[in-house]
Amino acid sequence: MRRASARFALVDVALKIWRYDPESGERELREYEVDAPEWACLLDVLDLIKDKHDGSLAYRKSCRMMICGSCGMRMDGRAVLACKERMKPIADAGHVPVISAMGNLPVLKDLVVDMAPFWNKIRAVKPWLDPGYDEVAEKERIVSQQQVNVINKESLCIMCGCCVSECNSMESDPEFLGPAALAKGFRFVGDVRDHGEVARLNELNQDHGIWDCTRCYFCNERCPKGVDPRDAIAKLGAESIKLNIDHDMGAKHAKWFVKSAETTGWLRETELVPKTQGIVSSLKEIGFALNLAKRGKVPPPFPPHVAKDVKEARALHDLVRTQGREGAAGIVQGEHALAQIEHVLEADERGGEHGGD
Amino acid sequence: MAATETRRVAYYKGCLASLSAKELDTSTQALAPLLGIELDELESVTCCGAGDIHEAEPDYYLHLNARILAYAEQTGADTLMTICNVCTLNLRQANWQLKNDDNLRARVSQNLETVGAPPYEGTVEVKHLLWLIAEGDGYEQLKQVAHKGLKGLKVAPFYGCQILRPSKILGFEDPDRPWSLEAIIEACGGEPIDYPAKIKCCGFPIIQAREETALGELIQPIEQASEAGADAIVTPCPLCHLSLDAWQSKLKKATGKDFQMPILHLSQLIGVAAGLEESELKFKRHVVSVEPLVEKLEA
Repeated sequence: MRRASARFALVDVALKIWRYDPESGERELREYEVDAPEWACLLDVLDLIKDKHDGSLAYRKSCRMMICGSCGMRMDGRAVLACKERMKPIADAGHVPVISAMGNLPVLKDLVVDMAPFWNKIRAVKPWLDPGYDEVAEKERIVSQQQVNVINKESLCIMCGCCVSECNSMESDPEFLGPAALAKGFRFVGDVRDHGEVARLNELNQDHGIWDCTRCYFCNERCPKGVDPRDAIAKLGAESIKLNIDHDMGAKHAKWFVKSAETTGWLRETELVPKTQGIVSSLKEIGFALNLAKRGKVPPPFPPHVAKDVKEARALHDLVRTQGREGAAGIVQGEHALAQIEHVLEADERGGEHGGD
Repeated sequence: MAATETRRVAYYKGCLASLSAKELDTSTQALAPLLGIELDELESVTCCGAGDIHEAEPDYYLHLNARILAYAEQTGADTLMTICNVCTLNLRQANWQLKNDDNLRARVSQNLETVGAPPYEGTVEVKHLLWLIAEGDGYEQLKQVAHKGLKGLKVAPFYGCQILRPSKILGFEDPDRPWSLEAIIEACGGEPIDYPAKIKCCGFPIIQAREETALGELIQPIEQASEAGADAIVTPCPLCHLSLDAWQSKLKKATGKDFQMPILHLSQLIGVAAGLEESELKFKRHVVSVEPLVEKLEA
């Protein structure tokens, strides 16, 4: 049993796994304990359990190296790739993690979810290049590094579903396209070779699209590959508004913040509802608004609450609009610094100088 | 009971505390000196964009936030204190980008100078009031300040999203197992309630554009806290406060459930325990009455 110890140290790893039997419909939390090599990841431990204790345990796996995206599951409620999570620190701390299937997708058996709704949403964003011609060009099309950088992060997606698992909007609206499909959408909207940008954005601006994102940031937190889907959704919003695809209430809402900042500096809060929903819809809210007004929650728009030196904010708006960083480019320009976060934080922990430029 | 040593911070109150959530500003202003925090309120600043300008015109978002950071830097304080989750994320994200990319900061600073604002050198840290209290001396001072206590009141902490995630930009605590609000509730003499939705979204960013989806999110913390027997929910974010407090009536309309759950700003919860007056707490500005809670404390 401990034969392996001649080559490497073993650790005692305990897990609780939510089992689900689709035939009986029964759910049960079962505990397992195995001796695992100290380098074992969660997937290795599941393999040991299946091999030595219970061959009926169901989970998906393939590459074992964080690139196929098969082994998404929850550990203590957090969506993770089983092949990325080292178990030794957890076992050393005496913690017994609870393993369960990912959220927001139907469970088929144990840790296996039905990915069909996920793939349907990926397909819905037409995840293929639309070059705008039928005949293959005679000359090679050169794409610069700078042009590739725009979609670099979104291209890293391995479609594991971890970002979808805890998506708060999707919990409330299962039809929401969600972080993986929208990040995939930007991967093509932002591709300089693609000629379907306007058509794509028009589709993504419909219900259950870009403006349904509630900005809970669970997707950025969970993504094991650094795609940051929420940022991709913001890039889609920024590209839409740049191209005047702004019919959605979400786009109107976002634009009102810009208008507020450049006119009074502060949010013109009371006007936000009619500017977002239109006059007719907002009239239906009058009872609700009056109730809030009684409590001072509807600040009068006149005289406006104007920030000191607001002329600077106005001038800044005029100035930056001439500098060619509109749309997604305004977000992409910050990614160079954001990509260094782990690097800098680790260096700070070591007490040394960081390598930021 | 005022603190002996004071720490001066640049104070950015943001839009809501200037407008519909004035009670957050007045209670923060009254509480800060008790906690040894001297507020240097920024005047020449604007909205941070609330994530909306980041999504509409991200380059303008970066410049507006750089301008706020530059004015904070001009006060000489090393910390810019926020009292809103959304301001915290927007400012910290911009700050990280500006501090770690010299070319980007040079371009933005030059633009700031062109319009007459100070350039940004990258010396300021952005911290939420919650963090200033929960870390180091703040927590010890809090225990002395909260002399009236909360009489074992059951309080449900609601963090909201943008003070936890993305943790690589926020990074104060484990985003899945945060502890700061619980520690503060305990230090004030209350009993923290645990419930799964305390780290989830209140629905506010889409409450106007997608009300049904937002209400499906909003009901979770209120219902779970209510079932766990909470007397009140406390939140460090005025946007969460607005949806949890003002939109409860819409939940009643949509689901028939009338929770009547009082919602407190962080500064109000500590303020009550520290014996602040109604003129500072301004509970009368809440949509859901805080009266049952006040009666319990006075009983």
